[in-house]
This record gives sequence, structure tokens and C-alpha cells, in this order.
Amino acid sequence: MQDWLASIFNGNVLALTGAALAVILAGIGSAKGVGIVGEVSSGVVSEDPSKFSQTLLLQALPGTQGIYGLLVAFVILNKIGVVGGTFQNLTMTQGLLIFAAAMPIAIVGYFSAIYQGRVAAAGVGIIAKKPEELVKAITYAAMVETYAVLALLASILMVFGIKL
Amino acid sequence: MSIVKMQKLDLIGFEEDKENIIKALMKAGTVHIVDSREKLEEDEWNELVHSENAEELIAEIDEKLARIKSAIEYLSKYSTAKKALFAPKRKISEGEYNTVRDSESELWKVIETIEQYNHELTGLKSEENALRNLISSLEPWESLVRPLEITETEKVLFAIGTVPASVNIAELEQELEGQAPESFIEVVNQDKNQLYISVAYHKDISQPVTDFLKGIGFSGISFRGLTGTASENILSLNNKIKKIEEKREEIHNKSKECADYIAKLETFYDCLVIERDRKKAMGRLLNTQRTFILEGWVPESEAGKIEKLLTKHWDCVVDIRNPEKGEDFPILLKNNPLVRPFEMITEMYSLPSPNEIDPNLFLAPFYFIFFGMMVSDAGYGILLSLITGIVLLKFKLEGLAEKLIKLLFLGGISTLFWGAMFGGWFGNVVDVITQGKFTIPPIWFNPLDNPMKLLIWSFVFGVVHIFTAMGLKGYLMIREKKYLDALFDIGFWYVFLLGLCFLLLGGNIAVIGKYMAIAGAILLILTQGRSKKNILSKLFSGVLSLYNVASFLSDVLSYSRLLALGLSTGVVATVINTMGSLFGFNPIGIILFIIIFVIGSVFNMAINVLGAYVHTSRLQYVEFFGKFYEGGGKPYNPLKIKTKYIDFTNINKEA
Repeated sequence: MQDWLASIFNGNVLALTGAALAVILAGIGSAKGVGIVGEVSSGVVSEDPSKFSQTLLLQALPGTQGIYGLLVAFVILNKIGVVGGTFQNLTMTQGLLIFAAAMPIAIVGYFSAIYQGRVAAAGVGIIAKKPEELVKAITYAAMVETYAVLALLASILMVFGIKL
Repeated sequence: MSIVKMQKLDLIGFEEDKENIIKALMKAGTVHIVDSREKLEEDEWNELVHSENAEELIAEIDEKLARIKSAIEYLSKYSTAKKALFAPKRKISEGEYNTVRDSESELWKVIETIEQYNHELTGLKSEENALRNLISSLEPWESLVRPLEITETEKVLFAIGTVPASVNIAELEQELEGQAPESFIEVVNQDKNQLYISVAYHKDISQPVTDFLKGIGFSGISFRGLTGTASENILSLNNKIKKIEEKREEIHNKSKECADYIAKLETFYDCLVIERDRKKAMGRLLNTQRTFILEGWVPESEAGKIEKLLTKHWDCVVDIRNPEKGEDFPILLKNNPLVRPFEMITEMYSLPSPNEIDPNLFLAPFYFIFFGMMVSDAGYGILLSLITGIVLLKFKLEGLAEKLIKLLFLGGISTLFWGAMFGGWFGNVVDVITQGKFTIPPIWFNPLDNPMKLLIWSFVFGVVHIFTAMGLKGYLMIREKKYLDALFDIGFWYVFLLGLCFLLLGGNIAVIGKYMAIAGAILLILTQGRSKKNILSKLFSGVLSLYNVASFLSDVLSYSRLLALGLSTGVVATVINTMGSLFGFNPIGIILFIIIFVIGSVFNMAINVLGAYVHTSRLQYVEFFGKFYEGGGKPYNPLKIKTKYIDFTNINKEA
């Protein structure tokens, strides 16, 4: 039993789980966020097809969290040698450290993407009435993204800071 | 560089000159006409003057414009001339313009014909749809030999209809045989969802058969009004469709003959636009019985010309004066060509109000630097500048589009610079292609190797940016002669914050920093509560003001996005290159690599350019403008000839 547990909770599994969660959670968040904006945009575009490019711009905004998640995962994979090297044998502590480093972008990415999606969807309402105010709608959405950027930064700095 | 100085123009002229004066001003294109109608709400004005009610006339012209526009759109489908995306306006001479104006009645005839064609085409389309629907409902019955109109004979009733596909037809036949022997059931056709069946039965047993059919979910179908078999009907319907197509072809051909009118219609459209704008302008004026009053704003440099123009040709009173203090005038920005594209960022936020400064000169360098740092890949920089450069050379752009493309062009140059500094050329593509034998070294350092270094530099850029904003605030205070406020609210903060920054650097300079910070803090505690009355609350709000350090700190931390977005470009580019190189160094692998590399790079560049644009704007709006800028100015919108399709070749733009 103990052997079995140890084989599951070894450093490599933990590190990979962290990387996977960064992609999974941030990705789900982005998918939700982009989805919300897409639904609202379709309504507006059905009235006025010329607003497609503007709404597309807003729809792209909550998509960045998913990219950040992938980015952190890649940095982790690079660090532990899955990509471009040999898979190192990590201790349990090292694995946990890497797992912890992935958490900021995984969790903040998930939530910020959804909230950003909601702000951007509301921004589509601005586009519907006043298309010239696109930048204001974008700026509101960008305010939410700040926290995803900060989480990304924290995750990256943590991964870089871990000594293997 | 600045907000253009405006002068107020007041003009009183004779009613009969009004149209000509407005025409002349339109041609000059420099007078921003103020809507004077709000004066009518005051009684003393209301008794003297009235305004020309132009709304109805304008609505009428707008309606005409809509008709012409839809005619142009209709014809452009038939035009053989290819239109580019950003086609320049067609140049026409005044003679051509006048002939178009004179042929107004002919053009209306053309428009009416086109509307007729359009109407017919819509009619044909719906007719065709109805026919096609009928055909598709007849198709399942194509093999039924009985004519559709025959539903009974002397002794026998017929029915056709559908039952769900789940019904087992063999069982059904047996069952029916048992219940009503004088009947016959036949499956004519079947598809995924249902069976198409035909039933014949003796009139005497109609009741049990209908009950039975009801029980198996039969729903009857009848083609009322159709005679002959289904296949005969389909044939004749197809013939009708063919006729419709012929008719349509005929209309298409006739439309093609009209396609030459596009040019004339476009000219006509613009001609009416000019007329409408003129009417709109005239609606803003105030009239007495025989005179009219015009209020407007003219850029200082143009004021003399306008005055000369007006007094030379007409008997009128012209008064040109500088704006009074606090009087709002429309805002026109004037900057050198390098700064001009960045005006867009300010315009999107809000134009400066007349008593503010034009922030673009200060905004531009930071925007330039930050944009490049966020994308930070030399390859993408070259690509971005190349694309936007070609667009700029090939197309004559105007207004916002021109500014945006130029902004991206400059952004591309900055991106190239920072990409070279950080060693990013399409990520690490050189490294991947040469399989590690060759790498382009960064000029400065690679942020992936030392992210902390770039993080600190990001903060340094942030501090400089924020300090610039504070300096501008101080400048505004000094301009309003609030010298002490500038010293207390900006100067002391500089001392305090700089002290804190030095403290962080460590070493000898930290000692200086320590004393600066302490001195700054004391000065701030002493001065920040100066508006409070009693000494205790003065001190208290002084101490409390030091809490603003937190907001300064959060502002500076916000610049960490420079690092984060910069890193993200590089890492995603590396991911793309790695993915592409997975298939090895063989012919198929190389082709796959090229495909993945091209698609991935374009995607990554687009996402990052969007990200850089958004986040750089945010830094300007929140961190920079938040410190000193309010905005709220109204744009300078002079009465001028605004055309959509045409441009006049000669200067004499008589409308």
C-alpha cells in the first residue's frame, strides 16, 4: 500500500500534475470566457454583420489565460526535462514545489478568464450601441486580465526560482 | 505638440447671402460651426430670432441617400471593375461633377429601374423557394403511379401519408389483413425518420382502417390542387424553376447594362451628401427676418483668411476674437508626424479639455517602448512593420485607420529593437533549424535566463513613466500659478519616492535614499493636511497621506506585465518551433515544420500584438493618465466637404 502511494505521489507525478492543471484550469476558464463573449456577439452580429471584427477582438481577450496556462506548463516541462532533455527524477519536495508554482496561473487563470469574459460580453453591448467606443470596452476587459498577468508572472518566477 | 489655438468667429450677414457664405465656408473647410439653437431657450433671444427648421429637408435627403446607396450596392455586384479593399477616392473634375448634377432626373430613372429589378429578383427568389419546397415534399412520392388528385373511386378510398420508421411493415400488413381484409397497404418510399405509405381500402370498412392507421401513428398528406402523378408534377415544377432562372438571367443581363452608372451614382451620392451637410450647418444658425447669425471657431492661423474671404465678397459683420478664460473651444491637436499616430490612443480615451495640455508628446515614447517590450520578437517586428508598411504605401488611408496602421508600423520597429536586444527571432527558430549549431545571441540579455533582471527594469520604466505623469501634473499646477501646491503635492512626493527607490538599490546610495525618504516623509506629513483646520487633523491627514505609497507601489507593480507579456511571446514561439521540429529532419518533416511554423507564428504574432496594444493602452490610461489627465474636450469638426466616393481634382470645390 505504502509503495503504491509512494509511486503515485512521487515528485515527477506531482510536477506533471501541476503542469497539467495549469493547462486544464486556465484552458477551461478561457473556453468559458471566450464562449460567453461569442454567444453575446452572435446576437449583435445577427443585427449588424459589419460589427464582426470588433466583437471578434473582444472575444479574443479572455483567450489569453489559456495561453498563459500552456506557457507555464511548457516552462515546467522544459525545467524537468520532459521537453528537450531527459526526464529528471524529482524528489517529492521538488515535485510539490513545482506543483505549487503552477497553482497561481491555474486558479487565477480559471476565474479571471470567466470574469473577463463577462466584462467583454458586456462590452459587446457597448459595441452594439456605440461602435466607436470599442477601446473603452477593451480597456474594461483588460483591467481583469491584469490579475492573470500577475499570476502568470508569479508562476514563471516560481518555476525559474526552483533549484533542481 | 499642442492644442491648436482657436479664435471665436461671430458673423452677421444678409439672409440672401446665407447659402453662398455657407458654400464658401464649406470650401474653406476650417470653420467649426457652433449650434446656436440652444440660445433660443432664453427668452430675450427667442423674441428676436428663430432658426430655420431644416430637419424635414435633411430627413428627405437622407432618404434619397439611402436609395442611391442601395442602388450602388446592387450595381456593384454587376460591375466588372474590381474594387480594392482600401481603394482611393475617384478623382473627378468640376465639369464632370456638374454634368452629373444636371442629369438628376435621368439618374432617378435609373435608380427606379434598379429598384424595380431588385423587387422582381426578391419576388422570383421567394417564388422559387416555394416551388423548391413543394418539389422536396413531392419527391418521396415520385414512384407513386396513382395521380394525386384521385382520392376515391366509387367503392375505394385512397390515402397517402407517413408513419414512423420504427414501424415494422410486414407485421403491419398482417395485422391490417386481420382487421380489415378489403384493404391494401404499400410502402412507396422510406428515409431515416419515416415510411411513406399508400393505403387503399373499401369504403365499407373506412372506420376500422382509420382507427388502425391512427394507432400506428399515421399522418395523412394531401396535395390539394395538384393533378397528375407526383413525378409529372415534379417535372412541371422544375420547368417553372427553369423559367424563373431564365427571367433572372434576363434581369441580370439588364442590370449589367446599367453597371456603367455606378460612377455617376456615386458622384450623385456625394453631391447630395454635400447638400445635406450644408443644410445641417444652416440649421444651426439663427435668423431674423433679413439677417442671420453664425457662431463658429477657427484655428488662429486660418482666422485672417476667413475674415478676408467673408468681407471681400459679401456685406457682413465679422468679429474674430480670442476665447475668454474658461470658454470651451473645440479641440484640434497638432503634433509632428512621428507623434501623430499616438494621438489615436488619446482620442480613444478622451480629447484634452481646453485648459489641459496635449499629452501625446509624452505618451508617444512610452507607448513605443512598452509596445515593443511586450511583443519583443525581432521576427514579428519585421513582419508587422512589413505588412503595415505595404498597406501604408499601397493604400491612401485616412483618419483613425491611418493612425492605427502607422502606430502598428512604429510598434513593429520597436518590437524589432527589443527582439534584437533580447535575442528573440521568431522565438528560437535559428537554433531549431540548425539543430543547436547556431544561435543569434541577444544584444542585451535573454529574459528567460534572468527574468528578475528584466522585472526590475520593467519597474524602472514604470517609475519613470509615473514620475513623468506626476511632473505633468506639477506643470499644470504651476501654469495655474499654484506654486506651493506643486511643491507640496509633487515636489515632496518626488523626494520621498526617489528616496525609497534609492533605498532599494542598496550600497552607498541607500544611505542618501534613507535620509531623502525620511525628509520627504516629514515634509509630506507637515504639508498634506494643510486644508484641514485644526492642528491635530492636519497632522493626522498628513500621516494618512503616506498611505498613498501603497497606490504608487501597486502602480509600479502593474508594469510587471512588460516582463510577463514579453516572456509569453518568446515561450509560445519556442513551443511552436518545438512542435514543428518533432517530425524530424526529413522532407515530410520539413514541410510539416514550415506549415506549423507559418500558421503558429502568424497566430502568435496576432495575439501578442493585440495583447501589447491592449496592455500598453491600459498602462497609459490607468497608470499615466490617472495621475494628471482628465480629458472631456469636444473634437474640432469643421464644416467641410466630406465625400465618400469622389475627390475633386481642382481646388474650386464649388458645390
